[in-house]
Amino acid sequence: MSAKTRSTDLAQAERSAGSAPAKPARSSYDAIVVGGGHNGLACAAYLAKAGKSVLVLERRHLVGGACVSEQIVPGFTFSACSYIVSLLRPQVVRELDLPRFGLEILPLESTFTPFPDGRSLARWSDPQRTRLEIAAFSARDADVYPEFGLAMSRLAHFIKPTIDNPAPDPTSLSPRELGAMRRLGLSVRNLDRDLRELAIRLTTMSAVDFLDLFFESEHLKTPMSASGIIGTFLGVRSPGTAYVLLHHYMGEIDGSYRAWGFVKGGMGRISLALAGAAQAHGAEILTHSPVARFRVRDGRASGVVLENGDEIAARAVISALDPHRTFLKLVGAEHLEPDFLAGIRRYKLRGSSGKVNLALDRFPDFTCRPGAGAHLMGDVSIAPNIAYLERAYDDAKYGAFSRRPFLNIVFPSLADPTVAPPGKHVMSIFVQYAPYWLAEGPESWPAQREAFADTVIQTLAEYCPSLPDAILHRHVLTPWDLEQEYGLTEGNIFHGELGLEQMLFLRPVPGWARYRTPLRQLWMCAAGTHPGGGVMGASGELAAKTLLRSGGV
Amino acid sequence: MSGRYDAIVIGAGHNGLTTAALLARQGRRVLVLEQKEHIGGLAAAEEFHPGFWSCGVFQDTTLVSRRVADELELARHGLRWRTAPPDVLALGAPGDSLLLAGEVARATAAIRQRQPQDGERYPRYIAALEGLREVLRSFLDAAPLDPTSNEALDPRVLWRPGLRLRRLGRRGLLEFLRLPPLCTADWLDEWFADDLLKAALSLPPLASTFMGPRSPGGTALLLRQAGLAGPGVEGGGPALVAAIAGAARTHGAEIRNGAPVAEVRMAGKVQGVKLASGETFDAPVVAASCHPQQLLALLTLRSLPGRLTERLQHYRSRGTTAQVLFALRAPLRFKGYENLPVEFARTGASMLDIERAFDAVKYGRIAERPVLEIHAPSSNGEARPPGDRAVAPAGAVAPAGAVASVLVHYAPWNLEPGWDAKQRDRLGERVQEMVRERASGLEVVARRVFAPPDFEALYALPGGNLHHGDHALDQLLLRPAAGCVGYRTPIPGLYLCGSGSHPGGGLTCLPGALAARSILAD
Repeated sequence: MSAKTRSTDLAQAERSAGSAPAKPARSSYDAIVVGGGHNGLACAAYLAKAGKSVLVLERRHLVGGACVSEQIVPGFTFSACSYIVSLLRPQVVRELDLPRFGLEILPLESTFTPFPDGRSLARWSDPQRTRLEIAAFSARDADVYPEFGLAMSRLAHFIKPTIDNPAPDPTSLSPRELGAMRRLGLSVRNLDRDLRELAIRLTTMSAVDFLDLFFESEHLKTPMSASGIIGTFLGVRSPGTAYVLLHHYMGEIDGSYRAWGFVKGGMGRISLALAGAAQAHGAEILTHSPVARFRVRDGRASGVVLENGDEIAARAVISALDPHRTFLKLVGAEHLEPDFLAGIRRYKLRGSSGKVNLALDRFPDFTCRPGAGAHLMGDVSIAPNIAYLERAYDDAKYGAFSRRPFLNIVFPSLADPTVAPPGKHVMSIFVQYAPYWLAEGPESWPAQREAFADTVIQTLAEYCPSLPDAILHRHVLTPWDLEQEYGLTEGNIFHGELGLEQMLFLRPVPGWARYRTPLRQLWMCAAGTHPGGGVMGASGELAAKTLLRSGGV
Repeated sequence: MSGRYDAIVIGAGHNGLTTAALLARQGRRVLVLEQKEHIGGLAAAEEFHPGFWSCGVFQDTTLVSRRVADELELARHGLRWRTAPPDVLALGAPGDSLLLAGEVARATAAIRQRQPQDGERYPRYIAALEGLREVLRSFLDAAPLDPTSNEALDPRVLWRPGLRLRRLGRRGLLEFLRLPPLCTADWLDEWFADDLLKAALSLPPLASTFMGPRSPGGTALLLRQAGLAGPGVEGGGPALVAAIAGAARTHGAEIRNGAPVAEVRMAGKVQGVKLASGETFDAPVVAASCHPQQLLALLTLRSLPGRLTERLQHYRSRGTTAQVLFALRAPLRFKGYENLPVEFARTGASMLDIERAFDAVKYGRIAERPVLEIHAPSSNGEARPPGDRAVAPAGAVAPAGAVASVLVHYAPWNLEPGWDAKQRDRLGERVQEMVRERASGLEVVARRVFAPPDFEALYALPGGNLHHGDHALDQLLLRPAAGCVGYRTPIPGLYLCGSGSHPGGGLTCLPGALAARSILAD
């Protein structure tokens, strides 16, 4: 692969971002994908690769959805929403040849937690360094930690096939489904009894209770439990948060589990690579092209109607938007049966997080471990103790953003100098909890935006006092902003909560978990379908493959 | 009298007595050993102030298994069934209340007055739960499968429950699978608009658990309750226990009070027990209805087979309920219901109120306004079931007066800075104030507070959890631990028969009955 080819493909991919409004080349396509987020792009790429004529319609000025790089401040590239990659499916990377289109992932080496008492804990990809760090808090925990990781890896290995296959259907008696059940039974038999018990505990317990089975040190349990609540509207003591720990353990980059990474050039490079792959296979991508509704008649979708009134026909329409936007806005309740409509209405979104992106004039020191060291080249968590995390959740339950929030931070500029001018830095801060449903109503978010950001900065200043003065610009995304700007209904970053009541064969609605919708020729993908949220590309891939197999396109 | 029996039951609570009665009915020679001076455990009436008797700790008798009661012919031993579940007065904000009648038609009328749409939905809600009752009962009233066992994967075993589930139909099955992970708040929000109604419906399954209305999995507990629910019995826990004891004795079981067991004697398999006094009894079967962690203390083996000790040590048993007992000059009457004696009431104006009360317990505190379940029998005499010497002293004369029992949710076992007399008094004061707000003419003669550590000390319940272990989903599926799910333990002859076994706590009598079945089958 020559450097010239690569840079040409990259350039072409970049040109698709920020394109001026254009008209589609055809009046009719095999498939139209509505929503140019990373799943929509993946879906389009697979369909185009299979020889179909594909059009992607994106409302914003650039593709990527919540997987975007944006130069909000000239010279600084923000991963505006999502900020870390882990579960991007290797087969998607391989089958769509994403590195050819500019995808380069830099592994995260560490995860760092500073504590108010001046101590800190860094966990590294190197197990020996990690052992030493944990032993400073508990020798026993240091011994157990690798065993825990091993057990979680074995469970992750066991669960992994569910991510890469359509959701199983436990109500079906078809030979195929029964065969899948039988295989599942056999693979469970291969797990020893202790692991089976662990699997039951994992799916039902809270992150804290589950970690209590293994560890004694709160300094270790706190940051570990925090990974169980990211993107959820639950607390670390809520049942059902332990299994989310596994989700985050399943990272697989180049074959190694629990490997997380930065994307060179920001998360948007994933989307650009997917867009590049799609276009290389002949797909058309139009930005600045908001869709008003699907063209529906007699229970069948035949195309889309743009906000400017243009109509474009398609044999299949695939929505890559969240289920509420898809069905309540673009389809319309009048076209839906009461049962399905009820199922969509009770599908829960309830965004719970926000984002603060900072352009920094210089690197801020963490008092407990100064310097822009390797310990900060991974992710940093502000999670001092379990009661703190739980109180942050309590605030949100009653309609307020956390007065003392949980923060998950990365400094991508440390590993990737291309995202900031020399000597300057980008700081990407994920904040929980920021409930969409404020007590005063979501519309009051704009009025509370600055106070929300102030809370974040003040909290951080306790750990790095030099931060406030180093801020050149702050870019704040409340759940309201995530909804208004990025099309995420109720600001939910996963297109819907990841509770078991709306996962697998129940996502987004019981009986409609395989990318089809009740309307003929209307399909759905993205995080509101199996396997759920996160930058995976899995649902786009599975939806495309399901659609192709069905012959509906 | 020789010290040799066919079976020894440790603990004369409602489950232990059930096991004893069922074994004795089949001709086994049974000895029940109870550490306290009277039978009944958490269901026993207690004289908390001279002449004033409680109705036990549990207020709810609607979970009592009809099947077991009929098998033991408890009606012949004085047990009277109610015709419908008792009415419950839901107390919201001052001046706001809802009488949630046990009969669906009456309840619907009251609900409709507040919210017409809710009135339309309530009968359908009840019907939806009723539609699941058969399936639920088939799981609850049967020996559980250990989900970690190969048996739980065996199609030859799974086909029967599989068939039961299939009878729900595809939609019904999907719904059945969708419900358990829901928090009760989300589930009830799908049905109803009235905050007070939702609060009243969400509290019972969550009472004495470490969960609130926003805790995922609460709906599984609500379904469990729906599966077990019946009309309840007259006379509360004491009447239930008296009837079971009567049945047990009629079939020849011996019950010894004041006989704490110190050790389960073993030599590879069970040989019998030894009391704290040194006295020994021989039996090839010992069934323990005590808390599973309490049983650990009675076993001298260093480590049980199958990592059982470690698993049992991880068994969570966090008490979250306190009880305040009031001796009153006159029966408790609620404002606005002076002419209508209401026996049961609960506070909590909304599910958020209940959630706030729950939040506190996570931090070792009690909320400003905890949620209260109030039991106000109309006279003191009712609290003492007639004619059972083992429960109340015969011939005792009660002064005029009445009692009220208040269960307080949520009250932590590990209160900061610790449960002392001052903290108990503070709680008692707060509860009394809250009751006074809603009651007419409250005249308190005496008051006693029982905190989780008191339950621990009085009833041998580690953590003070009234269910003998958290009602958490993992602990209901693996109760009390993998390897002794289903009454048998790895030690031949040693069985579990209390609330620390399937299907868990409350006055159901099912663990006791299902354990007896296993014992008889072996």
